[in-house]
Amino acid sequence: MASNSTLARGGAMPAVTAPAYSTRLSALFNSGLYQSTLGALVSNKTTRMVLLAAVPIVWIVMMHIGPIYQMLKISLLSNYPIQHGRAPTFTFANYAIFFSEPLYFMPLIRSFVYATSATAVTLLVVYPVAYYVAKIVQPDRRSKALLLLLVPFWAGELIRTFSIIMLLANRGALNVFLRDIGMIDRPIPLLYTPFSLGFGLVYLISLYMLLPLYSAIDKIPKHLLDAAADLGAGPFTRFRRIVLPLSRDGIVSGCSLVFLTSIGVFATPMLLGGPTTVLFPETISGFFHGASDKWPVGAAFAMIMLVSALTTAAIFMRIVGGKSTRLM
Amino acid sequence: MDPVVQFQNVTKAYGQAVAVDDLNLTIQAGKFVTLLGPSGCGKSTTLRMLGGFEIPNSGRILLAGKDVTRLPPNKRNVNIVFQDYALFPHMNVARNIAFGLELKGLDSSAIHKRVMELLALVQLQDYAARMPSELSGGQRQRVALMRALAPDPQVLLLDEPLSALDAKLRQQMQIELKSIQERTGKTFLFVTHDQEEALTMSDQIVVMNNGKVEQMGDPHTLYSRPQSVFVANFIGDANLLRAKVVGADAQGTALTWNGRQVGALPSAHAMKQGDSVLIVVRPEALRFLSVPSGEGFAGKIRKRVFKGNHTSMTIEVDDGSQLNALVHPGESEAISGEDVWLGWNPRAATVIRDESAAG
Amino acid sequence: MRTMLADAPRTALTMAYWGFVLYLFLPLTLMMAMSFKNAAFIAFPIGDWTFDWYLKVMQDKPFLEACAYSVLVAGLTTLAATVIGVWIAMLIATTEGRWGAVLFALACLPAVVPGMISAISLRIFISTIDMPTGTSAIVLGHTVHAVPFVVVMALTRLRSMPANLVDAARDLGADSVVAFFRVTLPYLGPAIGGGMIFCILLSIDDFVRTFFLGGYRPTLPMLIFAKVQGGMSPEINAMATLVLLVTGAVGLYAEYYTRRSRSR
Repeated sequence: MASNSTLARGGAMPAVTAPAYSTRLSALFNSGLYQSTLGALVSNKTTRMVLLAAVPIVWIVMMHIGPIYQMLKISLLSNYPIQHGRAPTFTFANYAIFFSEPLYFMPLIRSFVYATSATAVTLLVVYPVAYYVAKIVQPDRRSKALLLLLVPFWAGELIRTFSIIMLLANRGALNVFLRDIGMIDRPIPLLYTPFSLGFGLVYLISLYMLLPLYSAIDKIPKHLLDAAADLGAGPFTRFRRIVLPLSRDGIVSGCSLVFLTSIGVFATPMLLGGPTTVLFPETISGFFHGASDKWPVGAAFAMIMLVSALTTAAIFMRIVGGKSTRLM
Repeated sequence: MDPVVQFQNVTKAYGQAVAVDDLNLTIQAGKFVTLLGPSGCGKSTTLRMLGGFEIPNSGRILLAGKDVTRLPPNKRNVNIVFQDYALFPHMNVARNIAFGLELKGLDSSAIHKRVMELLALVQLQDYAARMPSELSGGQRQRVALMRALAPDPQVLLLDEPLSALDAKLRQQMQIELKSIQERTGKTFLFVTHDQEEALTMSDQIVVMNNGKVEQMGDPHTLYSRPQSVFVANFIGDANLLRAKVVGADAQGTALTWNGRQVGALPSAHAMKQGDSVLIVVRPEALRFLSVPSGEGFAGKIRKRVFKGNHTSMTIEVDDGSQLNALVHPGESEAISGEDVWLGWNPRAATVIRDESAAG
Repeated sequence: MRTMLADAPRTALTMAYWGFVLYLFLPLTLMMAMSFKNAAFIAFPIGDWTFDWYLKVMQDKPFLEACAYSVLVAGLTTLAATVIGVWIAMLIATTEGRWGAVLFALACLPAVVPGMISAISLRIFISTIDMPTGTSAIVLGHTVHAVPFVVVMALTRLRSMPANLVDAARDLGADSVVAFFRVTLPYLGPAIGGGMIFCILLSIDDFVRTFFLGGYRPTLPMLIFAKVQGGMSPEINAMATLVLLVTGAVGLYAEYYTRRSRSR
């Protein structure tokens, strides 16, 4: 309809008509109200910078640093919430509790063992997959090959964990299949064991390994591999001398992300693990149920976990990583 | 004629690096003016200061007599054609051109009329609804030009806009730019490092070096009467011959070079007897003489390079220095053998100060 | 024989890929299949097939309420995280050198803090500012978690934006606000769209933050968690399958959307 009116004016006029212009928006910006308020603020360099920086800085300080700071503060108090007649005092006692009982420090050690093993297994499992998608799949089919791997991760932590139960339960698919082909008489207890927990962790976190690895391997120019082959390097040498060093950044950031994610997983160990596989998040969680007078101890435990996990990741990145390694 | 732009003692430094050093420059309205110089000479900084993207450390910039030194870009009536066009990728051609008009608060029908007028100027009426990504390099160039012209700026600034085009298209666009400038009567301030581009289009060329104006003038004067070694070398090719002044008057300068009397046009600088100077002789100003004469000198051809429409020759003269000569096809066939006799027309040679001798 | 040997690494890698695909899809496929079992308990083989669980779930009030609540929380989270994330990205993009790097690191902090710690610290934080657990606390927690992803996506796109686009807009008479809304924001469009869908998925999938910050109204993961702990039946499978189909469709659309706008 609009193009008809332009055509009516004759000649081969294009299909652009006057109403396509955003004059209403401009009228708003030219209005006295705008010019005397926001317009005036941004015309001055100082107020413009304040306008740009205020919300981000307040948000980052309040919401990114604030919670960690409050957690640290409360972990050093004798009691919280503050009650009448009991003024909280500054104390390290909450941290000392952690070292007093194997019941407390064993879960953290276990968490580290599970997170580290899950990271290593994920790296070994996912690296060939990432390499295959980045270097062997034809470029035009690469995004489809990658998409196929992304789809299951949209399911979310809980549904994926739940689906592992379908596979590993006593009357789950694996046990029933093994029984039907006559390999076993009675089901192997797979669920609620270290095996099911590890299996579930790897299932949960492999995406965080896949994407950094893929983008690092994808960046290696193919002609480098051709040049190496031309100089006489076999497949194994090409991998060891070229692909592996050049994908180091991807390995480091993938491993760090996977490690930090898997150590903070809460629901999966509760659903897939058993009594012998209590991990540290569950320990911490115990201090926040019911009466809240144990919060300072929980906060101290959370601080211990945060600092030890970040330190481990940082040391790993420093030792293995190159200069340009970044987490995100 | 009124000056539309005036730079008064403008200095701009980034830390220790001085980009523009005490610049004084006046630009007349309605002219095609080119800032020419090598990269890092301060020409782009000058342009960006006029556009409002850089604030000078000292000095004043006047636009039509009004001080705009500290005005932000959106408050001054100049527009830029950017080096890579900077067309808004999410708006079609018409909306790109309309952008400045919309912000001026024009109504839709007035905007549409102006957009279509401008598109007609570059024969792109049929492309109004295209997105920038659907245009060729030359078309993008034209759209960027029209977008900058749309708000009717007092000066149009062009920041090396042709550098992304291939050689053929570039020549075509040079002619088109010049003709658009003539038809619109706008003041164009064009920045380039390409001397040929500058010579083709400009009414006035401002040669800049190290943040200062080396020389300013129309293309013909700059080519035929350079006033410094830098200008002589930067615009065209030049043979620089070291000579001594014997005498000078308004008609010309008498010099000795290699023990011979030679002539050249008078210098812009005052010369006195005994001064050490350089004579600028363009390669095409060297003449081959059929017979030895008192005015010329002997030389040996060391190299001939055929360049299609001319032949470039390297000639060694008796003191061992080498001269470049540009010889047209008919002439070059007549020159046979190594030994030649050369001279130049004193009206085609200029004298400049020998900066190295002056210390 | 020689060609077979030369192709061995390639064959092995192909098998690794398809093996991994099988590993990813098998549990989810089993989970979906189980939702059609005509029995009150979860066990293989499926035997009788039925569609009844879906009919039951579609009329299940707690499930539908949890769906609506999850969508509400995800919507509010997405709105807040997008505005704040883009704002932070704009600040980082204009901050050069060391301060820019510090800002970026701090902006990304919530993405590398382990989920459990993040949840606990937020739980403590809301109590220090006297905010009750419930909708506002969940939205706040989800937003903190989602902001880094919006920042990274917006910043990547901002860094690919030719610097002189904003210069051109300013040159044509736009002040910073006009230049932002008419040039920068439309340019960021695809990244913001992708970031928003990512926010929705992050919020709908989140368990641990919701667990510690939530009130009495359960979100979808909370409902499913409670049901799994309370005794399993194929009803959960039907719920999970429905959620999976919807989030999968949203994710697929996000892929399609970002790819289409990237190719422009």
